[in-house]
Amino acid sequence: MIAFKYTKTDGAEYISHLDLLRHIDRTLRRAHIEVKYSQGFHKHPRIFMGNPLALGVRSVSEYCAVDTDFCGDFAAAFNAHSPDGVKCLAAEYRETNPNFAEAIEYCRYEAEGIAAFDTEEILKRESIIITDLRGRTVDIRPRIFSLERHGGKLMFTLGCGTKNLRPDLFCSYLAENFGGEAAYILKTDSFGSNVF
Amino acid sequence: MGSLRKLLLKCEKPSRYTGGEYGAPKPEWGKFNFCMCFPDLYEVGMSNLGIKIVAKSFEERGMCADFCFAPARDFGQGLKELGVPLYSLALKAPLKDFDMVGFSLQYELCYTNVLYMLELAGIPLTREERRGGNYPLVVAGGPCTVNPEPLADFFDIFFIGDGESVDADVAEIYLECGGATEEFYKKISALDGVYVPALVHPEYGKNGETERFTGRVKKALVSDLDGAIFPDRFAVPNCETVHDRAVVEVMRGCYRGCRFCQAGFIYRPVRKRSVKTLTRQACALIESTGYGEVSLNSLSTGDYGKLSDLLKSLKGALPPEVTLALPSLRVDSFDGEFAQDSRKTSLTFAPEAGTQRLRDVINKDITEDEILKAAESAFDAGYSAVKLYFMLGLPTETDEDLQGICDICEKIRAVYARKKRQKALRISVSAATFVPKPFTPFQWERQADEAEVAYKQDYLIKHLPRGVKFSWSAYYPSLLEAVLARGDRALGKVILSAYKNGCTFDGWDNLFFEEGWKKAFDNCGICAGQYVRERTEDEILPWDFIDVMVDKKFLLGERKKAYACEVTGNCMQGCKACGLQKNCPAAKGSYDCV
Repeated sequence: MIAFKYTKTDGAEYISHLDLLRHIDRTLRRAHIEVKYSQGFHKHPRIFMGNPLALGVRSVSEYCAVDTDFCGDFAAAFNAHSPDGVKCLAAEYRETNPNFAEAIEYCRYEAEGIAAFDTEEILKRESIIITDLRGRTVDIRPRIFSLERHGGKLMFTLGCGTKNLRPDLFCSYLAENFGGEAAYILKTDSFGSNVF
Repeated sequence: MGSLRKLLLKCEKPSRYTGGEYGAPKPEWGKFNFCMCFPDLYEVGMSNLGIKIVAKSFEERGMCADFCFAPARDFGQGLKELGVPLYSLALKAPLKDFDMVGFSLQYELCYTNVLYMLELAGIPLTREERRGGNYPLVVAGGPCTVNPEPLADFFDIFFIGDGESVDADVAEIYLECGGATEEFYKKISALDGVYVPALVHPEYGKNGETERFTGRVKKALVSDLDGAIFPDRFAVPNCETVHDRAVVEVMRGCYRGCRFCQAGFIYRPVRKRSVKTLTRQACALIESTGYGEVSLNSLSTGDYGKLSDLLKSLKGALPPEVTLALPSLRVDSFDGEFAQDSRKTSLTFAPEAGTQRLRDVINKDITEDEILKAAESAFDAGYSAVKLYFMLGLPTETDEDLQGICDICEKIRAVYARKKRQKALRISVSAATFVPKPFTPFQWERQADEAEVAYKQDYLIKHLPRGVKFSWSAYYPSLLEAVLARGDRALGKVILSAYKNGCTFDGWDNLFFEEGWKKAFDNCGICAGQYVRERTEDEILPWDFIDVMVDKKFLLGERKKAYACEVTGNCMQGCKACGLQKNCPAAKGSYDCV
């Protein structure tokens, strides 16, 4: 099993999660990295991705695991055959599936373009109710773990996985309440077990 | 780009519009700049092999070739609002900046999308409006150009026949002449496969019938398919496309001569690629794209004489997990070993007609026994679902033929029952409305009208065995397809008017706007029905000035035989003298490729 960290930038942020899975599968085939297949009726390559990233959000901290016996320089082989913007940053050998979809608990993001506001005040609130994309009301406060401004950039840490909060949704909430418009949202870090 | 970014985030599947596909050529402005346009969505266009071949033919000559697809309505609307002209995929350059924009016309119901793309690009729609302006040449190719007349108002040049060389030849002449000069048009109109509508003036009679033409245009023909241009790499689409896999073209043309099938006549003669070439091309594509599937395309892959050798060669040379798809297998060539789909879920057969009599009329040379045998070997190979394609409204069709469709379903079910399998059999029947097309023996036929078609569909709804899933095509799009396929220049204003009424993506059931078309015909004072009437055999047909190299006399003979329920059979049983004998390897006794 090889676990690797990769980017989703330079246009790749517009590629959907399922399409990205296909691109990784094809990249591995082009790179002659042999992936093991599941043994069911519909055989599929054993590629395990982290949680999906909202369309349009860039990232330099995506994680994926592949079941393979490949023992060469994974990053070099992968990057020589991957699409623009999908580039391996680091790779490690793992005995078992790191299960990134569950292992990653928080992610850190940065965004530009949202008007200045009191970040402390937001963090002091007990609950923040918004309507999500499916029209349900949710309290997003428990899913916000940090929020600070550095120059023009807003930096924040949001829950991922079971306590997921989409960064674009969070940014639209901020923009609606404080003005401006979020541009260039970027995931910079992921936290949880098994990350590197 | 900031506002475009916002638009990308708002619209569905933004990766359709961002370009940068893995393996896409990175074109640079050159001596001649060509944009290959496809008047349908990215997912459809990126699956098309023809446009890749045409683009490659320009690249081979050191010219620039980029692509552009019809944006979905949300993105198109967004571009309009932003005032951003439609741009090419790789260079992100406005279409207006190219020397030539070429549309691939694969089906009649994409015609309004050509206008949609031109308007988004800021290019005036008609040749008349573009005259004297600094606009690219607006050209078209693809199967629909065998009857180019309905679109004659909009295009400067039509390419008819194989596009491997003549398209780029025209570009060379453009460079020699220093642009689209009178000399340029004179020179190119002498080439096979080039039709310049401004130089041809058909004369129409009082009732709209064609009276005479000035000039005749012969299709372009590539005789050596094995040595013809073929891309050694494909751009791997950003999002899933309708046929998301590597494709090789095994043969062009078809031996069968089914009388309803336009492709079977206009792509004559049959030309093949060799096992060696196909294996090399398939391996190169898998290596460069990373696809997990190769599709062996042709009109009837089962008729490729060395199919077993080809499959063996491919299985030996390709990585083991790569699957092969054979999308066009005839019933009689089905055999457990040639699965259409590696997953063995559903198998599709196209008997086209319900009784032997009607299958003889259309020269679909298969028997009920063969259909049942094929179904049986499919069941033995593990399939538990079959899809059957039929046509309604074929010449001479009666209730008996409709009952025949129901009977075939019963018999297939009986075959399955004998296998005593646990899983229930699934049969789906799909019935399209017959569209009589130019350059077929049925080009003179009338199309069944709405009431007749409704009756036939009703008959099947009532009489098909219970549990058979039945789907049928809506009447009006089929009528429109027939009208556009058989039309003349008078239809230009109808197409324009339909577009102005909001018709685009006419081939999409959910986007089809029937009222817009009906109003367009009314406004132009044109009756759609006049185009689908029966034509007399001595009439000049609007497409008669195009020479697809099949004799009109041969087509007439085939029509007579159809009414006599006489089968002609296929070219492998001997030459039928369709008119292509001089250019046809099979006519000279050669059924193999180099």
